[in-house]
Amino acid sequence: MSGVAETVPTGGNGTGTATANSVAARGASDIPLVFDQISHWYGDVVAVNSINAVVNAGITGLLGPNGAGKTTLLQLAAGLLSPSAGTVRVYGRSPASGPSAYADIGLVPEQEALPGNMTAEAFVLARAALLGLPDIAEATRKALATVELDNVKRRKLGGFSKGMKQRAKLAAALVHEPRLVLLDEPFNGLDPRQRVGMMRLLEARAEQGTAVLLSSHILEEIEGLASRIMVMLAGRLAATGDYRSLRRLMTDRPHTVHVRSTNDRQLAAALIANPTVVGVEVMTDGLSVRATDYAGFARAVGPAAKHLDISVFEIKPADESLEHVFAYLVEK
Amino acid sequence: MAGDETKRRVLWLASARAIVRLTWARTVTPLLLVGMAVLVLLPMVFAVVFASRGPLAGDPVVFLVERYDQLVLAIAVPILSLLLGTSAFAAESNDGTLMYLVTTTTPRWWIVLVRMLFTATVAAGLSALAVWGSGRIATGASDPMSVTQAFGLAAALGAATYAAGFTAVALLTKRALVGGLAYVLFWEGILSATFPALNFLSVRQWMLAVAASMTDATSKRLDAGPSLNAALIGSAVVTVVAVIIATRRLSRPRLSRIGN
Repeated sequence: MSGVAETVPTGGNGTGTATANSVAARGASDIPLVFDQISHWYGDVVAVNSINAVVNAGITGLLGPNGAGKTTLLQLAAGLLSPSAGTVRVYGRSPASGPSAYADIGLVPEQEALPGNMTAEAFVLARAALLGLPDIAEATRKALATVELDNVKRRKLGGFSKGMKQRAKLAAALVHEPRLVLLDEPFNGLDPRQRVGMMRLLEARAEQGTAVLLSSHILEEIEGLASRIMVMLAGRLAATGDYRSLRRLMTDRPHTVHVRSTNDRQLAAALIANPTVVGVEVMTDGLSVRATDYAGFARAVGPAAKHLDISVFEIKPADESLEHVFAYLVEK
Repeated sequence: MAGDETKRRVLWLASARAIVRLTWARTVTPLLLVGMAVLVLLPMVFAVVFASRGPLAGDPVVFLVERYDQLVLAIAVPILSLLLGTSAFAAESNDGTLMYLVTTTTPRWWIVLVRMLFTATVAAGLSALAVWGSGRIATGASDPMSVTQAFGLAAALGAATYAAGFTAVALLTKRALVGGLAYVLFWEGILSATFPALNFLSVRQWMLAVAASMTDATSKRLDAGPSLNAALIGSAVVTVVAVIIATRRLSRPRLSRIGN
């Protein structure tokens, strides 16, 4: 069994009974991470609202727009925040129960700040020592080699690029080889090559049995990486399940596409005949087309325009923001 | 068993070294170094002026007791301790890097204790240096009535107490520096010197009590303080309470920029 509990989508209240059953079916101390009716609020603001979920070995994506509560949920999992209600369990114990809980947890925060006048090696060495590792030097060497910073280990962190800082943070989180790794927006600021490198690294950890929970506000970022996804919206768990089910739900929904051409009215008449189109509205600056299959529509619009000798200036999805997609999932 | 003991000791020492390295990395900034240098050199500048006047300058013991009290114990020691005590935890809390310290298996009380020992040692050393340097300039190597030695030890003890207290305050509030400065100027600078009833609640008065017990010099200020026992007990209580409060606070740190 891997990833989060099977429920797609949840309608906002987490995985509920499915989670309770899956936890009951196994020893609680075997499960990397369990959120049980977890809520957290800052004053009047509810950041996390009644979330039930189980995170197992493998890579789980925590997806949601900015402000959805992803960071708060990760901080609760890391024991840096106490839940206002509910419980969090990491391998059967509360992450806030004491420092020894951190033997199992590695956290890569979103914020970039690092002690700028320390070298990468000194920083990771300090972490290894504070984590009580028996062979500090070897653990540091291994962690820096894993993130490919071993050739710049004597350079100060203050002079590192964003991508290098991200890898230094990862080395600090992985130096004790924790069984649960929490990453908050780990791909921010990484170039494509660095992203691929980070993905391969996380995949390798997951293959070794580590549970990885990583947050992102960009769906494509975790596409192909996370086999399981938890979608958060406004503090609630909007949907959980395997990536393909969620992706299908997201792509199968009706799309709104903005089209501009040399003859919008004539093109509208042609498009409405296409089976993928369920509605067309002629606007002052183009057409607003509702299509059930975005890819099918995109394939059809070119030949239709060519047949009528119309030039198309622009085809632009109008509702592709993650908020739209998540809102659709919640409604569904 | 012996092997286990050795392993455990090395673990404590290794983590202590790591805490000191992180503290050094976050505490020692160019601005802080300039501030500390000014505070250490200021009493020495007064001593140079005093020494340059030769026999016309008056009794060096009276000069030193007054300057040690009004300049070193009232300003240099508390502000040095304030700068050191508030810089490390405050900076780490504000930029979120405190996370790298607290998401470890090292006990919180050990982190607090090592960090307080570091700041207390540096503050005490610099305070003693300010006393010793100005005494040496004003009186040469003679140290009449052991006044430099007495104030040097008193300043070191006071600096350690202040540093422990301010380190704890830095974990409690974002405005530790402003709050500490207000405390130093109003409580220690004005109120405790004006109202004898507050002697028992003033680190400055405790330092004077320690100094008075070790020197034959007399002055109104030296003789008005609390007893040596009261001073030592007060200092110990502040330090222990600071460790407890800081340890509790570090269990739930304020990480204002850990994420959005």
